[in-house]
Amino acid sequence: MLLIDCPFCGKRNESEFVYGGPAMPARPADPSALDDAHWVDHLTVPPNPMGPVEERWWHLRGCGSWLTIRRDTVTHAIAEVRHGG
Amino acid sequence: MGYDATITQLPLRALFDLQGEPSAIGDWCGDALPAFPERPNSVSERDGRTLIWTGPDHWLLSAPLGAEAGLSEELRPDDAPADIGVTALSDTVTFFAVTGPDAGAVMAVATPLDLHPDTFPADAASWTESFGTKALIRRIGEGYEIAVDRSYSDWFGAMLDRVVA
Amino acid sequence: MAAEPGRLPEGGRIDRSRPLQFRFDGRAYTGFEGDTLASALLANRVRITARSFKYHRPRGVMGAGPEEPATLVELEGDLASGNRPATTVRLTDGLVARSVNAWPSASFDLGAVNQALARFIPAGFYYKTFKWPDWHLYEPSIRKAAGLAGAPRESSNDGYEARHAHTDLLIAGAGPAGLMAALVAGRAGARVMIVDEGAEAGGSLLNRRLSIGDQPAMGWVAAAVAELSAMDNVIHLQNATVWAYREHNLLMVHERSPENSSLSGRSWRVRAGQVITATGAIERMMVFEGNDRPGVMLASAVQAYVNRWAVRSGQRAAVFTNNDSVYAAAADMARAGIDVAAIIDSRDSVPDHARALVPGMEILAGHTVGKVHGRRGLRAVTVAGRRIDCDLLAVSGGWNPAVHLYSQSRSRIVWDERLASFVPGDAAQAVLAAGAANGAMTLGAALAEGAARALAAVAALGRAAAMPALPEAVDTPYTVAPLWTAPGAAAKSFLDVQNDVTVADIELALREGYSNIEHVKRYTTGGMGIDQGKTGNVNIIGAVAERQGKTPGEVGVTTFRPPYTPVDFGAIAGRRAGPVVLPYRHTPLTGWHKDHGAVMYEAGARWRRPGYYPRPGESFQDSVNREARTVREGVGIYDGSPLGKYEVKGRDAGRFLDWIYTNVMSSLTAGNGRYGLMLTDDGMILDDGVSFRLAEDRFLVSTSTGNADAVWQHMEKLLRIERPDWQVRITNVTSQWANATICGPKAREVLAAMGTDIDLAQGAFPFMAFRDGTVADLPTRVVRVSFTGELSFEVNVRPRDLPTLWEAAMEAGRSHGIAPIGSEANHVLRVEKGFLSLGHEVDGTVDPHDLGMGWVMSKKKPDFLGKRSVALRRSAGRPRRELVGIRPLDPDRQIPEGAPLTPGGRKEATEGFVTACVWSVVESRWVGLALLTDGRARIGGRAYVRLPDGIIEVALCPPVFHDPEGERLRS
Repeated sequence: MLLIDCPFCGKRNESEFVYGGPAMPARPADPSALDDAHWVDHLTVPPNPMGPVEERWWHLRGCGSWLTIRRDTVTHAIAEVRHGG
Repeated sequence: MGYDATITQLPLRALFDLQGEPSAIGDWCGDALPAFPERPNSVSERDGRTLIWTGPDHWLLSAPLGAEAGLSEELRPDDAPADIGVTALSDTVTFFAVTGPDAGAVMAVATPLDLHPDTFPADAASWTESFGTKALIRRIGEGYEIAVDRSYSDWFGAMLDRVVA
Repeated sequence: MAAEPGRLPEGGRIDRSRPLQFRFDGRAYTGFEGDTLASALLANRVRITARSFKYHRPRGVMGAGPEEPATLVELEGDLASGNRPATTVRLTDGLVARSVNAWPSASFDLGAVNQALARFIPAGFYYKTFKWPDWHLYEPSIRKAAGLAGAPRESSNDGYEARHAHTDLLIAGAGPAGLMAALVAGRAGARVMIVDEGAEAGGSLLNRRLSIGDQPAMGWVAAAVAELSAMDNVIHLQNATVWAYREHNLLMVHERSPENSSLSGRSWRVRAGQVITATGAIERMMVFEGNDRPGVMLASAVQAYVNRWAVRSGQRAAVFTNNDSVYAAAADMARAGIDVAAIIDSRDSVPDHARALVPGMEILAGHTVGKVHGRRGLRAVTVAGRRIDCDLLAVSGGWNPAVHLYSQSRSRIVWDERLASFVPGDAAQAVLAAGAANGAMTLGAALAEGAARALAAVAALGRAAAMPALPEAVDTPYTVAPLWTAPGAAAKSFLDVQNDVTVADIELALREGYSNIEHVKRYTTGGMGIDQGKTGNVNIIGAVAERQGKTPGEVGVTTFRPPYTPVDFGAIAGRRAGPVVLPYRHTPLTGWHKDHGAVMYEAGARWRRPGYYPRPGESFQDSVNREARTVREGVGIYDGSPLGKYEVKGRDAGRFLDWIYTNVMSSLTAGNGRYGLMLTDDGMILDDGVSFRLAEDRFLVSTSTGNADAVWQHMEKLLRIERPDWQVRITNVTSQWANATICGPKAREVLAAMGTDIDLAQGAFPFMAFRDGTVADLPTRVVRVSFTGELSFEVNVRPRDLPTLWEAAMEAGRSHGIAPIGSEANHVLRVEKGFLSLGHEVDGTVDPHDLGMGWVMSKKKPDFLGKRSVALRRSAGRPRRELVGIRPLDPDRQIPEGAPLTPGGRKEATEGFVTACVWSVVESRWVGLALLTDGRARIGGRAYVRLPDGIIEVALCPPVFHDPEGERLRS
């Protein structure tokens, strides 16, 4: 059970949050301009490192913010929490 | 067990969800609102109206149910400008009071939120999680108020009763 | 004079004024308040208390605390629980216990025949032998023989509670280091929790005879406990084990039989700013042939039994060691009247400080135990050819700092050559180790370290604290020279007593190539018992190191995992059990539905909804048919409150909906709605629903019931992450609006009879429009949507008004035969119309074209979510599964939903499945929907449902069985 330091609420239990997946690159402005391989990569290759990774969390049962955090998948240490993407 | 605490389901109250920048909300709502609270997750009160700062650009206004129609006329939710949201939510939330000497122990079972006075002072109020469900918690005189989505209230009340029983 | 033969006439921390009766394996015994089940059994000289896991060898009590590897018991009656080490069971009057792996009793056990087969049951035996044809064929009987206790059938006492706690500093362990740390931090004003697994505070001091300052050590403990109890900022728990150390300093505590409550247990989920593990050290077994014989015990346990419980574990003892700690134990044993025949020390040289503790006692330095005698219990040992008669062999293989919690925190543990054990290394979280848990093996060092660590923790919390004057404490220095396996150790030298893992098993694993310590563990199951190998794991590592020519540090340690000691599942669940175990949601009409005989279903998203409303004499199918016909022929009413509803507002609201729906929503005019499909960017359907335009900058989006939260998350994430510059705000109004949906050819007449200011005429209020107004004098929003295919008015009101509205509709509809409709009939009605249902036809693998809904994919919009992926997938030209209607050739043949379709009904890969099958009231036969490869092109042909009990031939038809033109719902 993580403890996430929400910029609005302070440190809150993971049970207040909904995991929103790893942070993916921004959606291309015009998907039709991408070739097939790049589009498939964009959809299907999420970062999955052993170490720091950026991920999205929704503070659904708190202030409602969407947060981006940088979490170490080995130690769970959270280096950064920020609003939005 | 057998905690010395009482669980009371409270009557409906007038609730309005306010979203947008405070200046824009202030412009539209004018005197209808108490002053904006100074700290996130805290409360300000005036004339029986309570304003809770629940999130970034997000407030919850509450008042006794009798004030609902009047507030609705003052706030005109359907006419509010595009850059703010004013939405009636009176029926959405069911409030319970947890009171008595053991109210703190009951709350420790109900929520992982730290309710120590240093971190959750008298004017604090916050959405959090209780038994896995979204819940709004606030200190009241002799205990706490805890509120959940109306549709969960039967289950939630039974849950609180089991904790106290 | 004590009642029990092994009890000393005086002393011990037991209350002799409170004798207790108990039963073990069917026989009656007595003990005292303050006893554990183990100390009482020893006092009664019950030598065989258990049978081993695999070989059913006789075993006795070996330890004195949670390290106990041998004697597991099952408690009966009010205290019912399984697999409890007898050393941790507090004796209570009337306690009934039995050993878990013996039948009929530990003393006379029929399973003991396995001993004769021992050489046929080596490590990996089960894996190798029961592989063919299928492990699951053998598993039940093997589990029964290799036994642990079953789960109790009834829940005990008042059950359990799980609560949360927050503290500046959590201290695990109330021995000398933990208590000293608590005093320092408590005096500094920090919020402190000190948690200890024992019945009373003191840790090792309870078992030993030491002094602190000028008083017995337990006097200092009592003063410390009293001081802590007077501090409002300190919570002190005994009988409570910190059993898990999770991420971000969340620790799990299992408190047994909490004070001032009738609970069986309480689970604490503690979030701590800082943690100090002061968990002491655990003595290792010695590894030699016959080291599991009843009468072989840990020396520290023998010492604890004489000092703490006034129990002699034997009459004549030998001691076998490789370190100094047993010398004080031997002195305590002799003082209590146990005849100590000799101390066998594997080291060639015994330090003078150790010898000085046992003047006159024979010490056999440089020797090991060669052989033990006595089949059902120890009678003698042979040392260098000399037979020493004894009924007790107290052994010590050295000490392991209890690093379990420290390691669970993901912090490093490292090999310490001097201590011949693993000790805490670099911390991964805010955790410090103190005392014996950190390798500080003497009392003075433990007290000093407890104080120092508390100062560091308090400083890290930003508080000042004062270093207290440390009391003087005299203790024996600790030195050790490891003896991982005694000479001659083989197939009866147990490394893991609980799981019956021997030196021979380890050697077999190494021979077979399992050289990594994690593999050795899994192959032999060494350390995988309930005791988690507390007395044996490091011996296994040492034994492997010895055989691989490495140091134990190079071999490394297996992962420490929670729980440190067994935890009742009930304690984890807490009050969330029985009828409230899962949340359930209700509408304002749930009471009405139940009062009117509805059979309630668990629907999606935790809602409980009426399934159908049986009338007297009706079968299930009768009720469903009647309700469905009511809607097709007259008028029905259902509670549609759970539907997800969101207000979407802002300058960019229309643009946003155009992006997330496949069709255009921004062209809607106020007062009108449009059905749409929402795709994820992988081109699959996420949800369907109707969006209404309330005003220029304001929409109401409805979602399917089960998907409401997922859609909300989808929309919020897109806005906050991908389009933070768009001005759109979403408010969840699902619970702000409830509705009664009146549907059927006579719906308009009923609504009119209820009284409304809305013009209901078809031209004035067309399909897919909504109108605000009053119905039955209540403020409403009436919506013309239809999920049944009939004329339908969804009358939305504030939830507080719904019961009034509903009663008004029932009253107004009475002359038309109005009846409430459950979800079963709704399912029939939507299948007859071919309306899709999330979870049936939409399962995350279908796109709109698959469902014949290509029309919903806007060709005008350059981009919307899912567009690119649908195009990409379609461009491959591969056949897709497509929605079709099915009619079984036998009209009375029902097809199970989910049944597979295979080519010709043959045993081949499926070409689709049946998504729904209902008794159609318009066709008076079973009809269904299916997703079938190239289905649309095959309409008019046949397909085959393949079931275990036969093949069902079905005719393929368009997926609509009623009013294909949609005239009725627009009427």
